[in-house]
Amino acid sequence: MAALRTAHPAVLRGALRLYIRAPGPPASAVGLRCVSDAAPQDQTGVPSESTEEYKFVERLVPPSRVPAPPPRAGPSPSGWTPPADAPPPLAYTVRRSRMHNIPVYTDTTHGSRRTTLVRKVEGDIWALERDVKQHLKEVMGTEPPTQVNEVTMTLKVKGHVDSELKEWLVSKGF
Amino acid sequence: MLRCTLLVCGRGVVRLLASSFCSESSALPPNLLLPTNLVDPSRSKRPPPPADCPLPLLRSCDAVVPAHLSAVQTWVETLEARGSEPLGWAQLHPDVFAVAPRLDILHEVETWQKNFKRISHANTKIRSEVRGGGRKPWNQKGSGRARHGSIRSPIWKGGGVSNGPRGPTSYFYMLPMKLRVQGLKVALSSKLAQDDLHIVDSVNISSPDPQDLLHLIREKLWGESVLIVDVGEEFPENILQATASLKTVNIIPAIGLNVHSMLKHEAVVLTLESVRFLEEKLLWHDQRYTPLYPYKLPYSDLP
Repeated sequence: MAALRTAHPAVLRGALRLYIRAPGPPASAVGLRCVSDAAPQDQTGVPSESTEEYKFVERLVPPSRVPAPPPRAGPSPSGWTPPADAPPPLAYTVRRSRMHNIPVYTDTTHGSRRTTLVRKVEGDIWALERDVKQHLKEVMGTEPPTQVNEVTMTLKVKGHVDSELKEWLVSKGF
Repeated sequence: MLRCTLLVCGRGVVRLLASSFCSESSALPPNLLLPTNLVDPSRSKRPPPPADCPLPLLRSCDAVVPAHLSAVQTWVETLEARGSEPLGWAQLHPDVFAVAPRLDILHEVETWQKNFKRISHANTKIRSEVRGGGRKPWNQKGSGRARHGSIRSPIWKGGGVSNGPRGPTSYFYMLPMKLRVQGLKVALSSKLAQDDLHIVDSVNISSPDPQDLLHLIREKLWGESVLIVDVGEEFPENILQATASLKTVNIIPAIGLNVHSMLKHEAVVLTLESVRFLEEKLLWHDQRYTPLYPYKLPYSDLP
């Protein structure tokens, strides 16, 4: 009792500092600034609009078109080969897909029926069919049955021969 | 197909035809009377612009033309002056104006356009909806008549229809976007291949009189019905007044171009601006990604 009465006020204040907070913002608002903290010249009555930071939004908006692949000579490490610069001097053309790939696709129906489809053919599709049959005879030994659809300009081949056809079309320069 | 009226005397046509065949022995008797509205197709069709054409090139393709194809060349005419000489020539992109004539795609798109808006309101009442018929008309057994449960069953006169049309039925369906785009390309290519597509520098005409416009069309031998396509929300007053009262000559904005209108009208007239607009929009579909989110929301490079 006598010790409390004779304690120095500064010692008391130091001891109570743990419990008495200095007036100011709470600890959770450490990084926040108030309008009152702003420099006098920034403080205006009307808030100003600025669209300068919109560039950070614009660069997130995706493009809608497939970009052209960077020019290269020869196959890429993934195996993709660009088309030849000049179109090959043949009676037919096989265009690339929108993702710049060879348009040869395989399909399996009824569980065991395997077909290969060559799409996006332009020009003389029968000449393409002859060349395909001849090439597959050299490569596989047999001439697989093929079906030409002149309306949709597609060529269907029996069996999964997509890798052979893709290599052959790339070697032609399509 | 009779195209237009050419006011040439019947006997004059015979003399003309006989003179054009004068190298061979003409089988046409000199006193032959032919109908006056015959048109000689060899005189009415203008050959496409040659490579060394003296007239200026008014428009070349903005998009890259594939290496194995070449741009299509057509004449550019004018609607203001009455003379039928072209102003110059223009190049059109082959992937829009020279695609293969896929009649099956045209048929699909035309059928879709006709049917997707259809709501059939045919409705019949079934046995539970027809007034009455809740009570068994007579006892099951004992009356000697056939057994029935309700007087509104479908085998009764005045009864409900068993398998009739039920209520408003919608025939709405959407074809894939790329198929509809291909339909537009095929329609434009077919019109160009059959000499029914005409390019015009602008849609300004000299007078708002509908008869003047009809005379102009007849002079140019464009056909009975003409569809004029221009880009923009506003059209000049003259053309609007001229086409307002005409049933066979119509003007539409380029966003309203559709396969049914192109097939319905004999001739399609595009302005240079609308050709640029159509090429940009239709060629974008050949090189676009599949949409991450609907195209109504912003992308960075929509056409």
